[in-house]
Parts: sequence; structure tokens; C-alpha cells
Amino acid sequence: MTMYNPTIDQRVDEALANDFLRLATRRATDRLRNNKYKATAELGDWEKWRQAGETIRTHVVANLDFYLQQLIGQIEKQGGHVHLAKTPADAIAIVRKIVADNNSKNVIKSKSMISEEIHLNHALEEDGSTVIETDLGEYIIQIAGEPPSHIIVPAMHKTRQQVADLFEPIAGHVLSSDTPTLTRFVRLQMRERFLQGDIGITGCNFAVANTGSIVMVTNEGNGRMVSTLPRVQITLMGMERIVPSFRELDVMLNLLARSATGQRLSSYTSILTPPKRASEADGPEEFHLVILDHNRSEILGDQTFRPALNCIRCGACFNVCPVYRQIGGHAYGSVYAGPIGSVITPLLEKDWKTWGHLPYFSSLCGACSEACPVRIPLHDLLVKLRARKTLSGHTPQIEQQIFKTYRYFFTHEKILRRALRLGSRLQWPLVRNGRISGGPPPLSNWTKSRTLPKVATKSFMQMWSELNP
Amino acid sequence: MTNTNEFINQLASKLGRATPTETPNYVASNVPQYRLSNPKERASIFLDNWQALGGKGAIVESLEDTVQCLRGWFGDLLAAWPNKPQAIIAWDLLPTVAEYAFKALEWPLVRYTQAAQTAVDRYSLAALAELGVTGADRGIALSGTLVINSHPQRGRAISLLPPRHLTFIEASKLRDNLFEVLEELASLGIPPSAIEMISGPSRTSDIEMDLSIGVHGPIEVYVVVIDD
Amino acid sequence: MKVSLFATCLANALYPEMVLTMAKILKHLGQTVDVPEGQACCGQIAFNSGYFDDAREVARTLIDSFEHSEVVVGPSGSCIAMIHEYYPTLFENEPAYLEKANELIQKSYEFTQFVVDVLKKPDLGASYSAKATYHPSCHATRLLKIGDAPLTLLQHVKGLELVPLPEAQLCCGFGGTFSVKMPKISEAMVAEKAQHVLDSGADLLLGMDMGCLMNISGYLEKIHKPVKTMHIIQLLGEGMRS
Ligand code: SF4
Repeated sequence: MTMYNPTIDQRVDEALANDFLRLATRRATDRLRNNKYKATAELGDWEKWRQAGETIRTHVVANLDFYLQQLIGQIEKQGGHVHLAKTPADAIAIVRKIVADNNSKNVIKSKSMISEEIHLNHALEEDGSTVIETDLGEYIIQIAGEPPSHIIVPAMHKTRQQVADLFEPIAGHVLSSDTPTLTRFVRLQMRERFLQGDIGITGCNFAVANTGSIVMVTNEGNGRMVSTLPRVQITLMGMERIVPSFRELDVMLNLLARSATGQRLSSYTSILTPPKRASEADGPEEFHLVILDHNRSEILGDQTFRPALNCIRCGACFNVCPVYRQIGGHAYGSVYAGPIGSVITPLLEKDWKTWGHLPYFSSLCGACSEACPVRIPLHDLLVKLRARKTLSGHTPQIEQQIFKTYRYFFTHEKILRRALRLGSRLQWPLVRNGRISGGPPPLSNWTKSRTLPKVATKSFMQMWSELNP
Repeated sequence: MTNTNEFINQLASKLGRATPTETPNYVASNVPQYRLSNPKERASIFLDNWQALGGKGAIVESLEDTVQCLRGWFGDLLAAWPNKPQAIIAWDLLPTVAEYAFKALEWPLVRYTQAAQTAVDRYSLAALAELGVTGADRGIALSGTLVINSHPQRGRAISLLPPRHLTFIEASKLRDNLFEVLEELASLGIPPSAIEMISGPSRTSDIEMDLSIGVHGPIEVYVVVIDD
Repeated sequence: MKVSLFATCLANALYPEMVLTMAKILKHLGQTVDVPEGQACCGQIAFNSGYFDDAREVARTLIDSFEHSEVVVGPSGSCIAMIHEYYPTLFENEPAYLEKANELIQKSYEFTQFVVDVLKKPDLGASYSAKATYHPSCHATRLLKIGDAPLTLLQHVKGLELVPLPEAQLCCGFGGTFSVKMPKISEAMVAEKAQHVLDSGADLLLGMDMGCLMNISGYLEKIHKPVKTMHIIQLLGEGMRS
């Protein structure tokens, strides 16, 4: 855990000064975006698929109580245990207790954004368990002590040399920094861990309400290891992550795999209905599903932001976001970065002071909404969050004043005309060769990197009324 | 921690109504589905897509074909494998053609579920094996995917721990798309404890987006499509 | 048709000649043109900053000023998109104004969209020799979905060589108040866009939203690599004169 807690500005500055980060982010997001484009184009009518995805997600979220109840009933009927967590602290306490009850010393994990959201690893390590992330990207950032910088490619910001440097103390010898060497090292290193793991913790891409199944989408196979080998399986899920039945999985898995990585299906898609049957050789004997609320129910009760719960965490919005492209994930400061992170973090954390900057990390270009496989109007939600913040009085006084003034002039066109005329006369100290290239704040925020045309001697409205008296 | 009723009721109140007692209906939107016209085409497209993912594969029409194919893939390797009697680990019962082929080749198969008493010992055996051999319940042509259900006579680790995984699948088990497979799975009622959909070898692009094969799961994957 | 011009706040104050050219082109195409007084701004600048109440009053003023217009045309996809996409939200609790807003939505167009899709005049007989590239502004493309209308007009300009803009779909970093609220991120974005303009090899940058063009050309000028920049209206105006 890093204790360094820089301000937003510092984080943005650091990101913008990090050439590798910016190059890597561009390269990775361009690749993912292009792969997605190919994978969606071949489906024929992608818009129909998006539409279907939106319909399914909206239906599930609008009936979340029913489907959760059904899911819980199914899992319990099959001998699994369900735990409901209102808060991250509750979720941590639940997992801690399961680990303690089983006397577990070796916890192996596959990728779970919920575990990032609740900061689980730290808590378990404090209790003396060894917790190991087995997804390669997650493993890298676990060693580095950093949060993920991308929801699908968590260690996107690391160079291969940095990865080699991180692995070397563990390997006990010098590692060359080529990818095959590094992945081979991880394969060997992890094998023992997998075989020794007594508890496996997984994430959950979808839970199937009417069968009590959980669906996990991975490429490396670590998700299968974690859900096959240990005696106990714990799965963490956000409470909205449900589909009614197998039938809906067709649309959801196609949307997810194609939007996330441009694959038709990921290398491993596991539909698990644990625990293992008595007569089966492999699989967990004990299964715990931890369902996290963490203010999701607040979002559910809020018609405006309810569509945010439709997200399937594919990362497509990251890959087209021009802001994310420039600054990467860490500058956001939140576990979930990118457009969807900017939407849900203030809602989940309910803290404008810490997270109030996120809705402004967008030029509102709309690329995210266009990319989203379940048609979440992300840029609209960002604006509506700004409006919430304004309404609750958390925006600066000066800003409020500016918009009052704006409103006055732009509802009084005749006065605006006069003001523009006055402005065109008073601007001369700033004008060089017909352009403005410096000025006091907040104008300087513009002129530091750009020139500005001067205010015209006659505004169009004035010009027109003189021409057409 | 939180009581289920309390949790569900709170959601119902957020939704501004009582929790429905029947499964709520909705109008599903139709999506265009990928369709192929005949089994021959299905098998060959399945194979193309499997190979495009980095897998090896062949369509066989006879026992001789199968034997030849296996000898071509593993004959030389087998000679080099140090722990020959334990090198190949398999389901308790493979598709008939596979059983005959291994018999004809005189390659010993370790039957996974009977190989050891405890799970831990079985995992160790599987991890030491060179090749895991399984069948498949279904396949998906469009995505080059094998669908394998768990079952008491089939270990899940066989397709996971050895560095190579070989699957036999009858051509009649291939489907065009995921949708058809899910429909069939849905009709099973309570699903098996694990349905594994496998599309190619284990892969990762987590280091500088550089594709790398075999970080955790099998490095080489082989499929034999049995023309039935 | 009787076309009422919506000058837009930015063009009104900074680019009045461009709006005048728009009027001339529309007249040339046989339209009657008027400019209702009272119009000032679509309200986007406040709306996007989360000041919905302030935006609503500015929007109301705009709706009122075009109440009796037959058709409304503006030189910015962004401002027209604001009306189409967000006026219903702004007036969701005011049925009377919601209806008026919907009337305005029905009759308002971005300039190129109006000329190509409504007047069906893809060829204005203009000629202009230059090697140009075109930036498809985000709001016009993604929100208003004007499609290829601007390109259609440009393809009919004789002598104009159009070269592709790399990664054209990327936002230029303007985003209204975004450019002053998040100046560093905005600068990084415009820097990349400017580089793409330079990489295109064009000696003329074209667009249909003055905000974006002002941003990109302002940056290029600051780094001393000025590239001539024109709104499509300005190009057509000059091209039709010759
Ligand atoms: S908001 Fe949409 S695009 Fe972004 S991660 Fe969620 S589902 Fe994917």
C-alpha cells in the first residue's frame, strides 16, 4: 500500500510527465479498440446486440430484488453459502471469518474488481494469510503495491523492464525482460501456489439467477485453477451482476468478450455451479458467495443514475476515452477509472470532497456512450453528476457567480451586445496581431497553451441590425 | 451478515414496489445469429477457428486416420518424455475412437479419477503429466470453442494442469453459435458443477500488450474432430 | 423557406463574418433569411458545467426568440445538439416549455445538415484549391449524427484535395469549460490533435464547429506551426465568390 496521497493536480501532472505511461496507454487502448471494432463488425448488426444487452440489463436491474432472491435460494439449495454485505467493511469481515474458520494460510485469487473496491488483500494479509493474485497483470500490481490502471489490463502502465525488476527479488536471480521469460517465470512460480492454495477467491462476471451459477471469463486459466483446485471457493460479486437464465448469457458473453478484448469468446468461459457434487473428483467442497451492496442500492433507488448499474465492466469506454488516453488510470485516484469509474465512484463512495473531480474528467465528447455495449449514456450521467454536485452546493463560490453572470447577460441580448462592444474596446492590452495570447486567470488557463481570437469590433447581432435596420 | 429478507426488502423499497412473486417477463430483443448450412461446413469452420486461436486440429474419418494423427503430433514427443507411464492422463472413458487409437498405439493412459486417493495427489499427478486427454460435450463453430461438462468420471484438472490438452469431439456435437449451446444447456435443468468453455490455449497480453501463450493453463491444445 | 439564423454565442462574439457568410449562402440558395433578436446562447456552457438552472433560463430565452420561426439554422453542430439532446431534460418539469422545446427541436438544423439533407444541395458550385483535412466534431457526429453532410459539401468543392486526418474521431480537447477547468488534460488532447493535423500533410484544416477549430488553431499558433483553419462556411463563402 502506498501512503503517498497526492492531489488531483499532482496526479495529472505526474501522468502527463510519464512518457511511457502515455505511450503504453495509447498503444493498448488503440489495440483493444481496433480489436473490438473487428469483433463487433462481424456480428452483422451490432446495434441490435447492444439494444438486446441494454434490454436485458435494464430488466435485471429493475427486478434486482426478485433475481437476487432467486439466486440466493438456488445457491443455498445446492449447498452453497450466501453472504450479504452492505458495506466494504462487512464484506471484508465475512471473508476474514471464512478464512479463519478454515484455518487457511494460502489464499489464491483470480481477478475481482470487488476485491479491489473493498481493498481486501491488505486486510487478509494483516491476519497473517498469504494472499496471492494469480492473474498476471494483477500479480504485477500486487507486487508493486499499486491499484489497477485499467479494468481489463491492470498493469498496462508497466514496462517489461519494470516487470522484470519486480520479479527479480522473488526469483532470486536476474531475469531477462522478454515476455516469454517473464510469463514462464510466472507459470513456474504460480504452479506451487495453485497446488497449495486452500482457499480460492474469484470474481464473477455474471451470476445466473435461476440456476445459481456464476460465470467467469478469463484468458489465462488462473480463474479455472482458483475455482477448481482449492477445497473452498469464495466468489465476490457486486449485487447487480445478474442474468435471469442461461439464455441471456448468449448476448451478454458476446458483448463482453467482443467489447473487452475483441475476442469471440475469451479463452476460458466457466459456468460454475458449485460446490462439487459428492461423486466428482475435482472442484471446491465448500462454496461461499459474497454479494456486495456498497451503496449500489442507493443508485438503484435513483432513476437518474440507475443505468450505471447496467455496466458489465468490459472496459470499452476506457479504450475510446480521450482523457483516459492522455492520463491513464492512476490519475483518477479511484479503483475504477475511465468514464464508468468517473460515474460510479462518486456514487459508490458518496464523498464529493474526495471524488468530486471525477465527473469533470471528460470533455463530454460522447465516445464512451457510443462504445458502451449496453448503451449506458455515460457522458449524460457525467453531466448529471456535475449538476448534483452543483445543486448540493459543493462547487466553488466563484464558479457559481460566473454562471449567474453568464445567465444575466445571455438572457438579455441587448445588454450582451453592449457588453461585447465594451469588451472589444477594453481588450487592447491583451491583443497582439489580432490575437490574444495571454491574460489573467481563468483566461490564462486557455492562453497558456493556445491563442484566442479577439472579440470582434462588432458582434454579429449588431452587424446584422445595422445592415437590416 | 445482513439478513436476506431485510436486504431484499430494502431493494424492493428502492424500486418502489413489492418484490414480484413470479419471474418477471420482458420482451427480449432479437439478435442476428451466425448460421452455417451443413455439418461438413460446420466441422471445417470450427477447425479453422480453433487453429486461428493457436490450436492444432484434424478431422478424422477412421481409426487409421486417428492413429496416424496422434502419432504425428505426439510420437516423437512421447519418446522424449521421461516419465512415460504417467505422461498421459485421461478421462475414465474417452470417445470410442480415442480408446481404440490409444490401444492401437500402445500408449498407456492414466485414468485420472482412479489415479490417486486424495484430490491433492491427483492434482500433483495431473501437474506432472505431459498430456491431458478429454472428450467434449459440445463445440461452437463460430468461436472455435470446446464445451466440457464436469462429471464424476471426468476430472476437471485434466484439461487444465498438463502443458498439453487433447480433446476428441464428434462432429455431430458441433453447433454454429453460443446461443444454440446455451439453449441445450438450459434444458439440462440443474447444470453440472462446471461447464468449461475453452477457446484455444491459455493466453495473456498483460505485459506491454504482448501476446504470450500458456501463462497458467495448457500451452498446446489439440482437437480431433471425429466425422460421425 | 424562411430561415432564421442562430448565430451562436461564440460566433456572434468572435466570428461575426462567418455568420454573415452563412446568411449570404442561404440567400444565394433562395432562402429568406432573418435573425430574431433576443437570441444569445443555447445554454450548453452552463448545462455542461452542471448549472442546469442557469442553463434553463438561457435556453428559455433562445426558445422564445425562435418561437415564430419556420426553420432555425446554426453554424455549430454542438449548439444544435444541445437543443436536440438536452432541452427535453431541462424542461422535463415544465410541460408548456417542453412543448416549445420540442417545436424548436423539430425545426432546427446544423448548417451542413440543412443544406445537404433538407435543401438537397450538395454542390454549391464552389471552387477552392488547397490540400485540406477535416475534423469531424464530436457533438455533430455523435450526438446530432449529421453523418457525412459536411464531407459531401466539401467533396463538391472544385480544386479541393481532401486528405484523411489520422484518428479523426478523437476529441480535440475543447469541451467548452473543460478546456479551462482541466487545462492540462485539455492541452494534452489538443496537442495530439494538432500533431495529427500536421501529420496529415494538409495546409488547411476544416471543420464545422468554431469551438473546436479555435482550439486546434490556437494551439498550432502557440507552438508556432500555424495551419490555416476555416469553418466549412468560410471555405464555401470564399469558394463561391470566385
Ligand atoms: S460503462 Fe459500458 S463500456 Fe464502460 S465498462 Fe461498463 S459496460 Fe463497458
